[in-house]
Amino acid sequence: MRAHGSVVELPEAGPADHLCWVHDDDAAFDLAVRAFLAGGLARGERLLCVGERAIATLAGAAPDLGDVGALVTRGALETMTVEEAYAAAGPLVADRQRAFYDAATRRALADGYQGLRVVADLSELAADPAQHEQLLRWEHAADELMASGGGMSAMCAHRSDLPPALLGDVLSVHPLGRAAGSPTPYRLFFDDGRLVLSGSVDTFTAGRLAAQLATGPSRPHTVLDLSTLEFLDVAGCRTLAGWASDLLSRGVPVEIRGASTLVQRMWRILGFDGLAPVSFSAPRSTPRG
Amino acid sequence: MTPPATTARASAGFEHEALFYRDDESFLAGLVPFVREGLSRGEDVVVAEPPGRLELLRDALGPDSAAVRWLDMAALGRNPARIIGAWSEALEAATAAGTGLRGVGEPAWPGRHDAEFVECRLHELLLGTAFDDGPAWRLLCPYDQTHLPRAVRTGALQSHPVLSTPGHRRPSTAYSRDAAAATFAAPLQQPTEGVLRGSFGVDDVRATRRTVASFGRSCGLSDGQVEALELAASELVVNSVRHGGGSGTLALWDTDEAAVVEFSDGGHIEDPLVGRRRPPAHRADGGHGIYLVNQLCDLVQLRSSPHGTAVRITTWR
Repeated sequence: MRAHGSVVELPEAGPADHLCWVHDDDAAFDLAVRAFLAGGLARGERLLCVGERAIATLAGAAPDLGDVGALVTRGALETMTVEEAYAAAGPLVADRQRAFYDAATRRALADGYQGLRVVADLSELAADPAQHEQLLRWEHAADELMASGGGMSAMCAHRSDLPPALLGDVLSVHPLGRAAGSPTPYRLFFDDGRLVLSGSVDTFTAGRLAAQLATGPSRPHTVLDLSTLEFLDVAGCRTLAGWASDLLSRGVPVEIRGASTLVQRMWRILGFDGLAPVSFSAPRSTPRG
Repeated sequence: MTPPATTARASAGFEHEALFYRDDESFLAGLVPFVREGLSRGEDVVVAEPPGRLELLRDALGPDSAAVRWLDMAALGRNPARIIGAWSEALEAATAAGTGLRGVGEPAWPGRHDAEFVECRLHELLLGTAFDDGPAWRLLCPYDQTHLPRAVRTGALQSHPVLSTPGHRRPSTAYSRDAAAATFAAPLQQPTEGVLRGSFGVDDVRATRRTVASFGRSCGLSDGQVEALELAASELVVNSVRHGGGSGTLALWDTDEAAVVEFSDGGHIEDPLVGRRRPPAHRADGGHGIYLVNQLCDLVQLRSSPHGTAVRITTWR
C-alpha cells in the first residue's frame, strides 16, 4: 500500500507521491518545495511548478536543483502561473484538470522522463468558498490519477492560517500530509485500483467523508479497503452504507476489503446488510511495498 | 397430562405471565401444553431458553419441536436489553404472516449475576410498555422457584400481570403498570469499589473513548471486548455531548468479575424502550447508537429521569 499518514519531514521521493504540505511561513514553504523538486530531479522526473508562489521559490533553488535556467531550457522544469494554468486547463473542473495532467504526464514520459512531479500552491483556491468543492473533487481525482501508476506525483501546498476545517478537508484526500495539530483523523486515497480509508472516522468527520465519497470517480467495480482503518463509529458506518447503497442502486458492485470483525458485525446489527448488500472480503495477504 | 393453563385467559392484547416451576417435571407440565396449544392453533411458537432447559423442552416435545423456533436465551438475553427487540421482530413476522405469536422466555435463570437479575426485572416490566398497546400475543416466562434468589422471585410477581403454575392462572396482585417507568427512572445502585471519575465535553470524545479502551485493556479484557467497549464509549459520549447537555461524566471501576464503565449526563431520555428495538436502517437521525451498544456489550443498564441519565456497561472478564 502507498505510504500514508502524517509526516513531519519530507519523505524520500517515490513514485505516486501525493503530499499535502501545510506550511507556516515562506521559509518553510521554500525548503519543502525545493526538496520535493530535488527528489524528482534525482528520479529523472520532469518538474512542473504551478502558481506564482511556487515559481518564486525557484529563484533561490540553485543549491537544491543546480542551474534552474538550464533546467527550464532543456524542458526538465516547466512553470505555469495561475493565469497560464487557467488558460491551459480551464477553470477548476476535476475532469478537465485530470485530462490536462494526464496528458502532461504522458508527454513527460514520451520525452524520456520517468514521470511528472508537480508542485502547486493551492492556498488561494482552498480559501475561495466558491472553488472549495471543485478543489476537493479534483484532489480526489488527482489522487486516483497518481495512484494509477502513470508517473505523476504532486505536492499541494497550503498556508497554515487557513481555517482548520478547510485544511482538514484537503488533508484528508491526500495519502500523506504534513500539518501542525491533527486537522484530519482519517485519509481517503487510492491504491492499486481500490479506494483506501485509513485512520479513524466518527460522527464529527462522517459528513466530510460522505461528501468526499460522493465525488469519487465512477468505476465498474468499486473496492473499498478498510484494512488500515483504526476506528469507525455508527455515523461513519452509516456513511459507508449510504455510499455503497447509492453505488449498488446504480448497478456498481461494492466490495469492502479488510473490514474488522467489529465493523462487519456493526454493519449486520444495524441492518445495513439489507440496505447495502456489499461483499466483505479478507485483506490482501501479500502487502505491497 | 395436565390441561393447558388457559383458564382465566384474558380476551385480547398482550398476555404476559410468569410460570413458577419447582423441577423439570413441573417445568414441562407448564410448558409442553402451552407450546402444543400454540402449535395446534397455527401460531408461530418461539422458545427462548438457556441451554439445558431448551434441550429438556425440545426432547419432551418430540416431533412437535420441529415446528418451534428455538432461541438460545443465554446468547440473546446475555444483555436482557436485547430481548424485546427479538420479540418485536417475531411479532412483526407473525402479524405480517397473519398467524398469532406465542413465546416462552426465561431470561432469569439461576446462577446469573445480581446486576443481570436487576436488568431482567426491568426487561420484564418493559415488555408491558412495549406490547400492551399492540397486537394480541402470549408470552410465558418460566421462573425456577427452587434455585432463584427470593428477590428475583418477588420481582417476577411484580413484573408479570398474570402468574401461573401448571394448570392454574391468576392475576398478580403485586403487578403495577407504573412500575416500569418508576424502575427506569430510579438511580442504579452505587458501586462499593473505588471509582475513577472524570468529566468530558464536546472536544473530548476521542480522548474519552481512548481512555475507556485503555481502561479495558488494563482490566485484562480481550481485544474484541476492548474494541466493542471503545465503540460503545464513543456512541455514548457523543449522545451526552449532543443530547445530554453538552458534557458528561465518565466513571470507571473494576470488580472481581467485570470491568464497569458508566456514562452520565444531565439529559433526560423519556422513552424507556430506547435502544431495545432496532431502528430502521435507512433512518439517518440517530437512534442506532444505544441499540448497537445493547447488541455489542455484555450488560447495559440505562436509567433516566429529569435528574439525568446514566448508562452503565459491564464487561465480564
